[in-house]
Amino acid sequence: MDQVKVNLEDREIPRQWYNIQADLPTPMKPPLHPGTGKPIRPQDLAPVFPMNLIEQEVSTERWIDIPSEILEKYLLWRPTPLYRARNFEKLLDAPVRIYYKNEGVSPPGSHKPNTAVAQAYYNKVFGIERLSTETGAGQWGSALSMACQMFGLKCRVFMVRVSFEQKPYRRLMMSAWGAECLPSPSDRTAAGRKILAENPDSPGSLGIAISEAIEDVVGDEKARYSLGSVLNYVILHQSIIGLEAHKQMEKIGEYPDVVMGCAGGGSNFAGIAVPFVRDKIYGKEVRIVAAEPTSCPTLTKGPFAYDFGDTAMTTPLLPMYTLGHDFLPLPIHAGGLRYHGMAPIVSHLVKEGLVEARALDQIEAFSSGVQWARSEGFIPAPETNHVIAAVVQEAKRAKEEGKERVILFNWSGHGIIDLAAYDAFLSNRLTPYELPDEEIQRALKTLEGLPKP
Amino acid sequence: MQDRLKIRCPKLGGEVSLDYCLQEGGDLPCSRIIVCWQARLPVERLLRERLSPEQWDRCFNRPPKDKVVSLVELVEAAKERLQAGEE
Repeated sequence: MDQVKVNLEDREIPRQWYNIQADLPTPMKPPLHPGTGKPIRPQDLAPVFPMNLIEQEVSTERWIDIPSEILEKYLLWRPTPLYRARNFEKLLDAPVRIYYKNEGVSPPGSHKPNTAVAQAYYNKVFGIERLSTETGAGQWGSALSMACQMFGLKCRVFMVRVSFEQKPYRRLMMSAWGAECLPSPSDRTAAGRKILAENPDSPGSLGIAISEAIEDVVGDEKARYSLGSVLNYVILHQSIIGLEAHKQMEKIGEYPDVVMGCAGGGSNFAGIAVPFVRDKIYGKEVRIVAAEPTSCPTLTKGPFAYDFGDTAMTTPLLPMYTLGHDFLPLPIHAGGLRYHGMAPIVSHLVKEGLVEARALDQIEAFSSGVQWARSEGFIPAPETNHVIAAVVQEAKRAKEEGKERVILFNWSGHGIIDLAAYDAFLSNRLTPYELPDEEIQRALKTLEGLPKP
Repeated sequence: MQDRLKIRCPKLGGEVSLDYCLQEGGDLPCSRIIVCWQARLPVERLLRERLSPEQWDRCFNRPPKDKVVSLVELVEAAKERLQAGEE
């Protein structure tokens, strides 16, 4: 019988997180204070983060011990299994061995609790009693709600109103874990009240929700803000994914040719990637690929979609591959990878040439996700579909080139609570098409009806 | 037909309407609006007609801010709002 899963015993769970900052060939530049122009100091961040986490944010220690209280919680679902996707391999009929780390087995169904649990713990030991955060689709909000409950902290989540109304199950999960989930803009903060006074039907945005969550903790000594991606310490906490995968691959005598992850804020990608980036820095031959979502149909529209016309994009161009037979590289702006606050570490790794960036269209992503569900059984989160699409591309390349490849990727979460997105895809509402003239005219009218910016 | 003016937002992880994208940045559209919508409608041309060069620059040509920098700015803005509320 062929082996499908590689498990680690509880006692084999990594006892330290890995900090890539210790091994970067070029150190990252410290962010500068917008007022003084000097590097931001720990005390500038103290109103929103506890000092123990700020210390981790700036640490260049290579290994950081994971406190036993955090390991105890991790053991509820970690170490996560490493799977070999044998059915998907058969479907692709390419010379590849595909391994994936199943982060969907955590209680909220994604990789997010790896840092949520750590953040809740460090806030608790710092004497904090309440955490506040923002959430879009609710993955992060639900992970933090669970983590706060585990350490006896109160939790308040500002959920972008349009998502709050669309995603009742996520907010119910937060409530089940004892958190207070508010639609943002809310009347709880001056920022929210101002928006509501101007537009009572405001659908909100991530920017508004962040402003509310920050305002909610500033001036409250017993409250702090929590962020689920982008920051260095988030990447640090997520490194446990890659550290486990490294051990699991070693256990079966495999080493990946390619390591892949989907990159929204960058935390799940970096989580699986950083231990392998370290290998690469020290001479190992391995490619690391970050797959970011785009709504542009690369297959039908070609490169123009990434060209930004004459909008004077000054960021460097990176190659990407299409699904075409010749895999012609198309230009994509590296800046795209930072579109809403990509982790600076990931941007830095791209700039250093240690990580490749690839953009995947959502239709291609959902098609791959459905293929996955129909072969491997697990229904992926919509974000996870992007890396699955990148894996499909990689397998097709291997077939074209007639070269064997071992692919490792992070299956960052399940999509059971995001089935509405599958409904949109399966009922062709996501189909890439150009709007007919009459609809363009109607869209124009929509535009005219809005207050001029 | 109405669904055709909706799109999956990669930032939020759910479907949003064109109106949402046009106002996502408060007084400006979402900086991803061209990437997300250009394949369906000529949003770049429409916005060029509508936004001043300064607004266009603010929306599309500025490199994204470092997250830590924007957090420090948000903290300062929150302090000001709270202070104004107390006065």
